[in-house]
Amino acid sequence: MNQELLTDTFVDLADTMVADFDVIDFLHMLTDRSVQLFAASAAGVVLADPRGELRVAAASSEKAGLLELFQLQNDQGPCLECFRTGRPVTAADLADQAQRWPRFAHAALQAGFRTVEALPMRLRDQVIGALNLFRAEPGAFEPADLRIAQALADVATIGLLHERNVRRRDTVAEQLQAALNSRVVIEQAKGKLAERRGIDMDRAFTMLREYARNSNQHLTDVARDFVIRGTAEFPPPARRRPGS
Amino acid sequence: MPPRAEREVGGDDAGRVARVWGLVSAHAASRLGRASVADVCAAAATGVDVSGAWVTAGDGINPGQAMYATDVVGESLAEVQITLGEGPCHDAAVSGAPVLAANLADGSGNEWAVFAEAAVRAGAAAVFAFPLRIGAIRVGVLGLYRDKEGPLDTLRLGNALILADIATMLLLDAEARQADDPLFVAPPASQSPGLAAHHAEIAQATGMLTEQLGVGITEAFARLRAYAYVQDRRLSDIAHDIVTRRLRLEPDPPG
Repeated sequence: MNQELLTDTFVDLADTMVADFDVIDFLHMLTDRSVQLFAASAAGVVLADPRGELRVAAASSEKAGLLELFQLQNDQGPCLECFRTGRPVTAADLADQAQRWPRFAHAALQAGFRTVEALPMRLRDQVIGALNLFRAEPGAFEPADLRIAQALADVATIGLLHERNVRRRDTVAEQLQAALNSRVVIEQAKGKLAERRGIDMDRAFTMLREYARNSNQHLTDVARDFVIRGTAEFPPPARRRPGS
Repeated sequence: MPPRAEREVGGDDAGRVARVWGLVSAHAASRLGRASVADVCAAAATGVDVSGAWVTAGDGINPGQAMYATDVVGESLAEVQITLGEGPCHDAAVSGAPVLAANLADGSGNEWAVFAEAAVRAGAAAVFAFPLRIGAIRVGVLGLYRDKEGPLDTLRLGNALILADIATMLLLDAEARQADDPLFVAPPASQSPGLAAHHAEIAQATGMLTEQLGVGITEAFARLRAYAYVQDRRLSDIAHDIVTRRLRLEPDPPG
């Protein structure tokens, strides 16, 4: 465990939550840092939509194979189990889990993952989603790492449901829907930018995120403005030297 | 304490969306018409267990326009928010997130003192506002009211969200029909609105089409759906082909 990175992560999460922040950007920070801290190959956050699905809110990579793994878990898999029980779900080697989750285990192995962990995002008795960690090598995550990962998931839950005003309303549902729609706005913006610049979705996402950081705006606002007006002047992508 | 949401999420989305669509279609069939927002409002009474419903069309920037209400209470709740420029529907239209005011008389209407007073006088104890939107596409708000206070449970909240997805598609269809777009063919009801609203590749492909076709996001989505319908292929498959750059759509020829 990189102690310095861990300290930085909690400081950054706390800093973010003190200020007005973008929920999707915040959850992306969580997935990126989870990958670094726990030597994971990939990480993602799924949220429970009352329409009846678990939906990806953030993932450490936009690769299709990884996104499909979250989608698949609407039928079976650690996130669904974790969501239903409210408890962490571990599979130290997916090669042994063909009976438990036939389709999920197969797809995860295909995508290059051997180990999976799902940690609940809980608010009192309500489970709002899960933090999902993947590793390419077999072997369970360290118990000490999982305690820290759970703490990160708990902080993220609080951040996600962070209320700007104290109101007597059902803000959990309101905030979750706002987060899920933000994700759609960002996907639309990624598509527009990827097409305009001839770049892939991952790169488009990074550019949107950097633009939001550099201009001190919310990622969702940048994405919405770009989709509606299409005028954002993105800094040109870094030129690659021939042969590099 | 066991988690509450068991069996309410996961595994059955398609079936659930189909059931809610069934409610809307049944109302449309009973008046021998094409499904419209009126049927969504009628379906809300059974599927969400509310006293009444209304739909306001608008982009969240300009003041909206009342489209339909199930009763006079709904009508006045819609009108008063447009007139005052405040209230849960107004906030939902601007923010793009639902606003659930489960007890207007006791605190949850504090932000809109004038609206809350008018709403209670009209006979509403709770108002729930659902934006009609898919990402940056915004077409209006579905408003629901109850004459008794109290929150929507998870199941009813889910049904209300699905009804909002359906109303979004119906308003988008109506808009395209009104614009008399020769390329537009209204897709059949069987194209799951839940899927259309939440599939990442559909959203990405819609964004890509704004550039390929040189149109706004709302029209790009109409074109995507129309293309899938004409080709008789699933929206998600067409979106996948666009995102993987195996398919490009061409802009209209000039003239």
